[in-house]
Amino acid sequence: MDYVVAVLLPQLLHGLVFGAALGLLALGLTVIFGLLGVMNFAHGELYMLGAYAGIAVMGLTHSFWLALLVAPVAVGAIGAVTEVTTLRPLYRREPLYGLILTFGLALVFREGARQIWGGDMRRILPPFTGSTPLLGMTYPNYRLFLLAASSVLLLAIWLFFTRTRAGILVRAAVQDAEMLDGLGVNVPRVFTLTFAGSAALAALAGLLLAPVFTVYPQMGVEMILLAFIVVILGGMGSMGGSVIAAFVIGLAQSLLTLWMNPQRVAIAIFAIMIVVLIVRPRGFFGREGVLE
Amino acid sequence: MAHDGVILEVDGISKSFGALAALSKVSFAVRRGQVFSVIGPNGAGKSTLFNVVSGLHTPTAGRVRFNGRDIGGLPPEAINRLGIAKTFQITNIFPEISVFENVRVAAQSRARESGRLASLWRLPDVETGVAELLRAFGLSAKRDALAENLSHGEQRYLEICLALATEPTLLLLDEPTAGMTPGETKEATALIRQIASARGLTVLLIEHDMSVVMGISDQVAVLHFGEKIAEGPPEQIRNDPQVIEAYLGPPEA
Amino acid sequence: MNRALSWRALIVWAMLALLPALPFMSKFYLLLAFDALLFGAIAMSLDLLMGYTGLVSFGHAAFFGLGAYASAVLLERGVLSLWACLAFAILVVGLYALVVSFFSTARRGIYVALLTLIFAEVVYTFFRYTQTFGGSDGIQGVPSPRLIGEFALDTPLRNYYLVLVYLGLAYLACRVLVTSHFGRVLVAIRENEDRARFLGYNVQRYKMAVCMISALLTGVGGALYPGRSAFATPDLMLWTVSGEFIIMVMIGGLGTLAGPVVGGAFFVLLQEKVSSYVDWYFIVIGLVLIFIVLFMPKGLLGIRELLGPRRWRTTA
Repeated sequence: MDYVVAVLLPQLLHGLVFGAALGLLALGLTVIFGLLGVMNFAHGELYMLGAYAGIAVMGLTHSFWLALLVAPVAVGAIGAVTEVTTLRPLYRREPLYGLILTFGLALVFREGARQIWGGDMRRILPPFTGSTPLLGMTYPNYRLFLLAASSVLLLAIWLFFTRTRAGILVRAAVQDAEMLDGLGVNVPRVFTLTFAGSAALAALAGLLLAPVFTVYPQMGVEMILLAFIVVILGGMGSMGGSVIAAFVIGLAQSLLTLWMNPQRVAIAIFAIMIVVLIVRPRGFFGREGVLE
Repeated sequence: MAHDGVILEVDGISKSFGALAALSKVSFAVRRGQVFSVIGPNGAGKSTLFNVVSGLHTPTAGRVRFNGRDIGGLPPEAINRLGIAKTFQITNIFPEISVFENVRVAAQSRARESGRLASLWRLPDVETGVAELLRAFGLSAKRDALAENLSHGEQRYLEICLALATEPTLLLLDEPTAGMTPGETKEATALIRQIASARGLTVLLIEHDMSVVMGISDQVAVLHFGEKIAEGPPEQIRNDPQVIEAYLGPPEA
Repeated sequence: MNRALSWRALIVWAMLALLPALPFMSKFYLLLAFDALLFGAIAMSLDLLMGYTGLVSFGHAAFFGLGAYASAVLLERGVLSLWACLAFAILVVGLYALVVSFFSTARRGIYVALLTLIFAEVVYTFFRYTQTFGGSDGIQGVPSPRLIGEFALDTPLRNYYLVLVYLGLAYLACRVLVTSHFGRVLVAIRENEDRARFLGYNVQRYKMAVCMISALLTGVGGALYPGRSAFATPDLMLWTVSGEFIIMVMIGGLGTLAGPVVGGAFFVLLQEKVSSYVDWYFIVIGLVLIFIVLFMPKGLLGIRELLGPRRWRTTA
């Protein structure tokens, strides 16, 4: 019982938070892919830039909360500019080009961050310290905050996609991008806003998680690989599938680290993906009838 | 082999996407050599029906029989090899290669080497067949043009050439005259009828343009909200009250 | 002298064969030339996938690295025959490529991009952290392979001719491939994968085949590497190396075969010059990629124009 409380439960909690962050990233990937037809290889870097933007803001203002507000907006703006200048010309071209372009963007962002902030690991101190006793164990307050924040965030996103007109539109367009044309919607603007939004969300996730993990230029790479696995598992084009798969992988990652070293965990996650691909080639919720 | 000249039998086909029932127990039979049209208002399930027959979807219930053989659940390439070729409602060609290359690669799929090891180094000679098809559709002059540079009408013709190049016995045409001018439509209709009879093809046709339907169909089936509400020769369908109601709404009482 | 070989290609190859005779070709430059031709050949094999079939592999470095490791493992244990090394590399890379291509070609093109990346990362992680293969140091100090009997490929000159032969054979194979029935279907798949299926083609099989051919060609190239470098390290399999292969193809021009060879050579030479500015290196690569995609998708070097506009993309 002690083991469950002292070891398992915290890891579970951690897994949920990690899964939520993964879910934000994977959701961004899925929406962008469904809508714009581009798999954004630079998405992990947007996550990373969120953390660094936070560091920059905190360097000036010493306020984590201000950073939480400013960083996503800043990265969202970067996303918007990127989309307009580099991705928009590619929509009519073969998907191959978008992949290579975002790959190039990832390189630039990653190396750029390293140039600006150096390659050393940085720390962001959590905005509040201390822990709370809960269920027989004490949990760091910040982690509890993370749990609450990610729940609120996911709820907000869910509401957006199911209750707002814009959200329903985007969700439908993820399934069938061509339908937007027939609705008299300003398609380029929707694309830009969606891209910026997904960038902002990724940045938010990056900043929220930064006090828990260390911040370094490569931090987006590991996340994006996991996010790809999540998207594949959830079924391409399935938004709900991405979120669910994110939690599965987040929890798996968290729990497996209790028993294996990080490299074996990576291989185990990979093995999970292979098994799922064999048993359910479309992923958990992949759609039939789209010649995939 | 088919029994009593029936080449395609759609038997109680239902197709649902989650809660949405796109097709409900649709049944009809197409006889060899017929031009059989499927019509109905938007959303009636016509394209879904084609997708089921051509292998994109697996029927939720019911059977599709081609020459007596159950083809439900087979992948599109297998169905094409059995002799069913489909054209697409939205032009679906190979944009950045020439018109000739487009049809060539389609014809090539029937060459002896196709799918064999020798295909890695051999290039089958299908030139004559391709040239003939292009000539039949008036595309010979444009044979070296990139497919994406053709006019809309020419692209629709190319669509059909691609399907025909695979030597089908059953041709599924999904709104072949979509987006064509009335003049082009007339021409296309006559051409389809002519080529179909010249090659002994059976044609299953989705069309919105009533003049086309009335002009070349031997038999017409009408779908509405996924169900078949009428079937018969064109004249009979034209005057069927249920069909009229489906298109125009209930009569003003 | 028609489908497979043009006089131009033959002349270029002959010139390359005479290259070592030039006065300034020191050992250093010969090794550089080796790298240029080797990576050029690898870029060409990637072009089969990218330019002709429209699939991007973000994990091609894994094929390369596995070939290198296969060779190094044998050489380290005293199996010095070049042929044994090649055979073993083909086996190892072939098995790996079979698995990767099976999973990545089952669905549409994006899966190739994602899964090749993921698989390559796993392979990299495996070799980086497995002590049997030397961990992060890899396998160091391997002896040179023997071509036949006691004839060792232990000088830059011999290695250069080895890679020249490899390039020549690989080029021939690729030319035959892209001008065949198979090659035309690849182009059709690139242009419209779904349509190709409806024309009776088992698209997955074709994608798997081209993936494996490309992988094996790259793996053979990798097997030649330890002869020149005397090592095989996990760094050979980094995703950045995969990115470099991609940039080589883009520089040279998609779908030209000869273009990526030139692109690969050009990149190796460029890298040699730029490596003094190591810090900026990845930013430069990233920017070059972005630039090429946006403004010069036909390749930086306009190889396509050299070959004549009709040759591009029609596999004629």
